[in-house]
Amino acid sequence: MSASDASSSSKSQAASGGIGIANLPNQLHKIVTKKGTNFSLMVVGESGTGKTTFINTLLTTELIEPLDDASRRKKQLDKTVDINIHKAELEEKMFNVKLNVVDTPGFGDYVDNHDCWLPVVDFIENQYEQYLRQEQQPVRKGIVDMRVHACLYFIRPNGHTLKPLDVRAMKAIGARVNLIPVIAKADTLSPAALRQFKKRVMDVIDAQSIRIYQSPIESEDEHSTQRNKDITSAMPFAIIGSDREVKTADGRHVKGRLYPWGVAEVENDQHCDFKKLRSLLIRTHMLDLISTTEEVHYDKYRTTQMKTRKFGEPKPRKVDNKKFREEEETLRTRFTEKVKLEENRFRQWEQKLIAERDRLNKDLEQEHNLVKQLESEIEAIANSGSPNTKFFRK
Amino acid sequence: MKEGSGDDQNVAPSVYSHVSRPGSHRYKNAKKGLPFNIMLVGESGLGRTTFLNTLCERMVVTPNDGPNPEQAHIAEPMQFKHHTVEMEEDGMKIILNIIDTPGFGNGIDNESCFNQIQDYLEAQFDEVLAEENRIKRNTKFRDSRVHALIYFITPTGHSLREIDIELMKRLGNRTNVIPVIARSDSLTPRELVLFKQRIMNDIAAFDIPVFNFPDPEEEDDDENSEENAELRAMLPFAVVGCEEVVNEDGRPVRVRNYPWGVVQVDNDEHSDFDRLRYVLLNSHIGDLRDRTQNELYELYRTEKLSGNAMASADQQQQQQQPEQHQAALAAQPRSVVA
Repeated sequence: MSASDASSSSKSQAASGGIGIANLPNQLHKIVTKKGTNFSLMVVGESGTGKTTFINTLLTTELIEPLDDASRRKKQLDKTVDINIHKAELEEKMFNVKLNVVDTPGFGDYVDNHDCWLPVVDFIENQYEQYLRQEQQPVRKGIVDMRVHACLYFIRPNGHTLKPLDVRAMKAIGARVNLIPVIAKADTLSPAALRQFKKRVMDVIDAQSIRIYQSPIESEDEHSTQRNKDITSAMPFAIIGSDREVKTADGRHVKGRLYPWGVAEVENDQHCDFKKLRSLLIRTHMLDLISTTEEVHYDKYRTTQMKTRKFGEPKPRKVDNKKFREEEETLRTRFTEKVKLEENRFRQWEQKLIAERDRLNKDLEQEHNLVKQLESEIEAIANSGSPNTKFFRK
Repeated sequence: MKEGSGDDQNVAPSVYSHVSRPGSHRYKNAKKGLPFNIMLVGESGLGRTTFLNTLCERMVVTPNDGPNPEQAHIAEPMQFKHHTVEMEEDGMKIILNIIDTPGFGNGIDNESCFNQIQDYLEAQFDEVLAEENRIKRNTKFRDSRVHALIYFITPTGHSLREIDIELMKRLGNRTNVIPVIARSDSLTPRELVLFKQRIMNDIAAFDIPVFNFPDPEEEDDDENSEENAELRAMLPFAVVGCEEVVNEDGRPVRVRNYPWGVVQVDNDEHSDFDRLRYVLLNSHIGDLRDRTQNELYELYRTEKLSGNAMASADQQQQQQQPEQHQAALAAQPRSVVA
């Protein structure tokens, strides 16, 4: 068909209702709905900041069971930061999401929290690495994608400012993943104190060049733009978590915390920013979180890795975990000791042999001397010329 | 101030009653004021400064906002800040010396904080020890031994953390450690009860020496034992601090205002602050001072003096040892060492 014909025919088709390109989003919708999606969320923070409760509140189901006392006591003596992954499949109106929640018990809980963010950072980078490797395989079907799409950092509401530990950890984490700072247990700060604290935290984040997740503000309609603006201005989000329902003074049943002096409601915007955060994570910005992870953070990782490594080469392993270093040291000392012991044994054996040899040599010498002595005696007797000796001359 | 004089010990026991009786505080130094030294230890933001101001009922320390944002990644080292306030409690004058410890637990590695505090406590004991051994003693000697250490526990709602356990264990033998749950208005009543239980379980499990209102041996007073038992059941005290005072029915009431309600600091249902204050400045001030003098100081003294004796014996032994060692070496047949 010639170009002019094509244009004229398309014009006529446009007049009659289009060729149906506009149907593509519907097709996409069907495909995506069937495929479902994969979402990984990480929660980082000291113990007792309400991470478990928050996750359970967010998902309105007890995904993570709180630890019992005995295990908690044992964990305190453990002095390590663990990575626990909880998997769930959420389904709503025929759309399903494979959700992964990554928990980090032990973070910042000890007297010495040196480098406690390293396991977190390593985990994030390992997921990128896994994905990179899988992408480079000949058969790319069935890729397991555990890349972390959002990391919630729970800040203790101490009312003053960020702790040095928070600053260092957030810097390291924010450079690699979408970092969303969250003020935990916000029901311990009065509104004025909370506002001040939020401002201080943002000041520190700016001054220290900590990279946090910036949600896109501009959107097609005015309503969304305004909502996005609200969300961004509320950062860091002040959170109250509760997985149980209580009755307020005026008879409503809400999710909240029942105090003698009132009920702090989870879903009340005057009380906390839970709804805004939920909106960010799930209702409105989930796609943005996923795409920024893939397009920005993962890509950054990929670029830096590919610059320094050849295609298909495994990642050079860094041996930097302090605990392992200690174990390595102990193993090494044990090994050296064992070697020393064996060497000593051999040395002693050698000495014994030498001593034995010397003794035998001495004996031999003695015998030799004896023989010589006898020989000389014989000579002497032979030379003295007695008649009896004539016999020996032969 | 004459400290450690025998007369005080005999007079002290009558102070224990919850209801103050006139003339019950028969300390000789009533006119000059009884010195009482408290140390406040806890991570920043747990309300130490607010507690201090609320305890003294005046703004002793203005809360500061923390370091510059550009400096936020540097941990400020722990400091000891001294404040002295004269108080009058039930007709008794108290010279309250409060030692605040800003910077505790703020760094990434907090191991050194414990040693600093321990050194401070022992230094005060050393001063008293030195003073006792002087030929000519100073009658105006100021006793700066810490009578009570208030340790602020973060309200995680779970149980004690490593830093809590370590601190209380290490310092429990040098001073009376009183653990309190800071910012307890972040816990619902149910959570608070569970939290207190778990903390007490941990304290028992890890063998942590805290001040648990011991009944003095000579005393048969049931009322006091009852009171002590009651206080023991309340441990650790849950405190809420605030500096805002509103007028309610004409009376000044200390409150914290939240969108969902108002916390009254003085209300026993809302916080144990009042009870703790009474214990510290009124009912058990004598107990705390006596225990510091009679048990903790004596323990330190014994350790220090016997430690000295042991140290000098060790030294003598070591001087003799080299000679013995040489002799032993000479006696052995020389072995060939490859």
